[in-house]
Amino acid sequence: MTLTSSSPIEESARQGERIFHVRALTKLYGVGDTVVRALDGVDLDLFQGELIVLLGPSGSGKTTLLNQLGGLDWPTSGELQYRDMDLTSATEAALTRYRREAVGFIFQFYNLIPSLTARENVALITEIADDPMNPVEALEMVNLGARLDHFPAQLSGGEQQRVAIARAIAKRPKVLLCDEPTGALDLRTGIVVLEALEKVNREMGTLSVIITHNATMADMADRVIRFSDGRVQSIEKNDHRAPASSLKW
Amino acid sequence: MLSYLDRKVVRDLSRMKGQAIAVSLVMACGLAMLTMSRSLIFSLERTRAEYYQENRFAHIFAHLKRAPNDVRERVAKIPGIAGVQTSIKVQVTLDMPGLDEPASGMVLSLPDRGEQELNRLFLREGRWLEQGSRGEVLVGEAFAKANSLRPGDSLAMLLNGRRQSFNIAGIVLSPEYIFESRPGAALPDNKSYGIFWMPYEEVAKAFDLYGGFNYLTAMLAPEGKEKAVISEIDQVLQQYGGLGAFGRGDHPSHIRVSDEIRVLQTLSIGFPLVFLSVAAFMTNAVLSRLLTLQREQIAILKAFGFSNREIVLHFLKFAFAMVIAGVSVGTVGGALLGNRLVRMYEMFFRFPELHFRFDKSALLWALLVSTGAAMIGVFSSVRRAAALPPAEAMRPEPPANYKPALIERSGIAHLFSHSFRIAVRNLERRPMQAVFTVAGLALATAILIIPSTFRDSVKQILGVQWDIVNRDDMTVGMMEPASIKVHDNLKHLPGVVQVEPFRTAAVRIRFGNRSRQLGIRGLPRNRIHTRVVDGSLHEIVLPPEGLVVSDKLAEILGAKVGDEVIVEVLQGKRMTRTVRLIALAEDLAGIGAYMDMQGLNRFLEEGDIINGASFTIDTAHRSQFLRALKDIPTISWVAIKETLRDNFRKTTAASINLLQSIYMIFASIVAFGVVYNNARISLAERSRELATLRVVGFSQREVGAVLVTELVILAGMALPLGLLMGTGFATAIIKMVNTETVRLPLVLTSSNYAIATLTVTIASVLSAANVLRSLKNIDLVSALKAPE
Ligand SMILES: Nc1ncnc2c1ncn2[C@@H]1O[C@H](COP(=O)(O)OP(=O)(O)O)[C@@H](O)[C@H]1O
Ligand SMILES: [Mg+2]
Repeated sequence: MTLTSSSPIEESARQGERIFHVRALTKLYGVGDTVVRALDGVDLDLFQGELIVLLGPSGSGKTTLLNQLGGLDWPTSGELQYRDMDLTSATEAALTRYRREAVGFIFQFYNLIPSLTARENVALITEIADDPMNPVEALEMVNLGARLDHFPAQLSGGEQQRVAIARAIAKRPKVLLCDEPTGALDLRTGIVVLEALEKVNREMGTLSVIITHNATMADMADRVIRFSDGRVQSIEKNDHRAPASSLKW
Repeated sequence: MLSYLDRKVVRDLSRMKGQAIAVSLVMACGLAMLTMSRSLIFSLERTRAEYYQENRFAHIFAHLKRAPNDVRERVAKIPGIAGVQTSIKVQVTLDMPGLDEPASGMVLSLPDRGEQELNRLFLREGRWLEQGSRGEVLVGEAFAKANSLRPGDSLAMLLNGRRQSFNIAGIVLSPEYIFESRPGAALPDNKSYGIFWMPYEEVAKAFDLYGGFNYLTAMLAPEGKEKAVISEIDQVLQQYGGLGAFGRGDHPSHIRVSDEIRVLQTLSIGFPLVFLSVAAFMTNAVLSRLLTLQREQIAILKAFGFSNREIVLHFLKFAFAMVIAGVSVGTVGGALLGNRLVRMYEMFFRFPELHFRFDKSALLWALLVSTGAAMIGVFSSVRRAAALPPAEAMRPEPPANYKPALIERSGIAHLFSHSFRIAVRNLERRPMQAVFTVAGLALATAILIIPSTFRDSVKQILGVQWDIVNRDDMTVGMMEPASIKVHDNLKHLPGVVQVEPFRTAAVRIRFGNRSRQLGIRGLPRNRIHTRVVDGSLHEIVLPPEGLVVSDKLAEILGAKVGDEVIVEVLQGKRMTRTVRLIALAEDLAGIGAYMDMQGLNRFLEEGDIINGASFTIDTAHRSQFLRALKDIPTISWVAIKETLRDNFRKTTAASINLLQSIYMIFASIVAFGVVYNNARISLAERSRELATLRVVGFSQREVGAVLVTELVILAGMALPLGLLMGTGFATAIIKMVNTETVRLPLVLTSSNYAIATLTVTIASVLSAANVLRSLKNIDLVSALKAPE
């Protein structure tokens, strides 16, 4: 692991096309006395195929950043570009299209639709995608080929999170945004989930951003972004990505 | 194949099927009422219209003394007339060996050759009269059925005093007698009054009217104006003793059917409205809860790029599924009920064929109205779903914001149990939910008030009519007016305790440009039988001069006490005079007018004349009395109070009871559904809270008590409100239903209120018990786990 040069924005691992271009990004919540600076001038470039780990204490603005990247919300000020698209000025309809076509989300609490089976949860999304994978194929990719027709309530937490991954990747997104995907899981299952994410990133070349407050996960990243008080503190580049199976915490 | 989002609709619905079914059923109740009443209106209107059309029912009717047949041509030339039919219409006395009392009827002539031009008959059974035949008769169906007469049977009649036996050729129906009853009688007695048809020659000769006619009907051309044509006809017939022509609006049978249609129209709007409002409330409650539960799911769908439109549509499908279920059950139920009720109409109305006809537009209405109700119900909640920002929804919902409840702020909290306090706090926290439940329960209570009001009102009116107004046992009408001396003869009939003569006269009463034809009834000075009473049932004294009319007639004429109305006598010397209106009377028959008997005779410039009498009979001599009556040829008809009462019980009362049970079932469904829904939602929304209570040591009973207390509080607010609303509905509906032939007073009894309260309470208790059973199944561990 080596520290990057003094400018944290300057990246050294130009693996591919630039996906996100972020400058002076600010997001305020609330008004008047109660205003919260969730993002306070973020500068960042993210590239195709990268696996990014976003580290930072609770309340530092990680989820907020992810929400802006994923087009779930509009920033207060600053620049935010997805390829050629300006997300700061996009209409709601445009953001909806953007999310539908380009983004896959994974959340801490899986957020599967409880009334649909594993296969149906994935198919629900592929149904509205342009060039999706077969839902079964996506589930096999996360080693859930044997659990296709189980309802979420019949699956363990780790299995549910892998269904969520299959759901996120099945539409072949350009970006995979994962908010504390292992936060609700124990070590062993956490690692299985991370292996799945790693595999997707490697095999499909999807830019993956994984939020965690668990520093051990930094080893599996191409780059590690440390976040605090709504700002990027540092960006580190790993020369070698450690396989997820070797992580310990 | 269903899309995956639609599968979610199906699965989610099946998980909340209890509530969905409750909503659909309430909706179905309203829609059943809607389709039933719309279809009945459709059936009656269409059947009547087709019957009128096919059998050429006339538009204008006129009675007269006698005119030579060639007058027909003069009438036919009046502009605006498309067809004229002249005939003879006479009263006859029947000799029915099987019947205690004298029976009477109306005989109408049929052309000797060819078909009737207007008011053609429909042959139900047997055959038409043979040309040139003698001693044959066609019999109206209502009378034939009531007396079990078949073609081939014989029937004895007194034609102009001569007894003659007739062979029944056929049983028929006439568009003029869809409602077959003695003119002026409020209730039909088909056993002792019938309609008959005979060849012209036979009737005419028997009544010395050969070569002339005494009844004329006319059909209007499309451009014909009723009013103008009537006055032209009156002019022509005046010199022949015309009694004043009238239109369908004054035709007794036509009015009865129209009135029934009007009653149905009231039902077809009022009731569905009430039910569908409840359904809208319930839809809103169910969907709001669904949206609250699915907050995260909505966020996920949005995060993955489902548009607001798709999500709104998704939730509308839930409402739509309930609508479809409600419409299906409602229209099928409405059709079944309608089929059942149409058979009830067969007791009152005689059509060649009264089929239940499903009004297809009712289906459309049902769909529209219930979709509308559902949309109103879901609009706010679904908008909430669309407005939910996806990023926001992923954040855990803040804890419910409980405030000290009102009772706690008022400082009397220590008087109440824990369950009571928790219940009150929850109600205060979710006021809308509480309002919906109270509204639903109140409406269920209100619905129950209405049919009982009808029943009590009819009971009261009959009580007034039969115990207060008419205190006789029987009323007898005479063929021709006779001298008051007849009175003495009547007094000496066997079994007579009391006899009281009366005099009626056919008149047209006019006020301003409104008028009505009816009979004025002249009553003797000192009378016991027939009383004329005002709205508070106090007797009105009839002075020698002046006229008393029923409330309804005054309303129709637009006249009030003190006004001078014009009375045009349609018989005898046919004078026209003004008379002062001295009081208004309460009258079951709807329109009626009364004068002092001597005053009326003076007014008519006739001597002391009567044309009927009422009797109090010693029951031991009842049959002797009736037999004696049968031997008096001048007696035309007898109305026996007991028989009318009996008929009434079998027909009108039976149909009111049927309707009442339908309402009872519907209201129970509403009460059950509303309580079920409320308890389910409470249970689901607060499973964590209730589980926590269990975990910290509350017993299942105590936890149940929280929910029950809530329901008891809600019911305690809903019931009085419902009784109040029901009173309002009943008042409005009785007002709307009141027509010329139906005149119902508003009667609200404590037993009515008690039944409503009890029914709703029982339905609520059963429903709550049903939900409470599932308290056992609260899984303490999983209810306390983090939300999925
Ligand atoms: N919708 C919101 N309204 C108000 N404040 C918010 C909202 N979302 C996040 N915040 C605030 O913004 C800050 C950053 O939050 P978040 O991005 O969730 O942090 P992290 O994911 O790093 O824990 C926190 O102080 C949080 O309270
Ligand atoms: Mg976070």
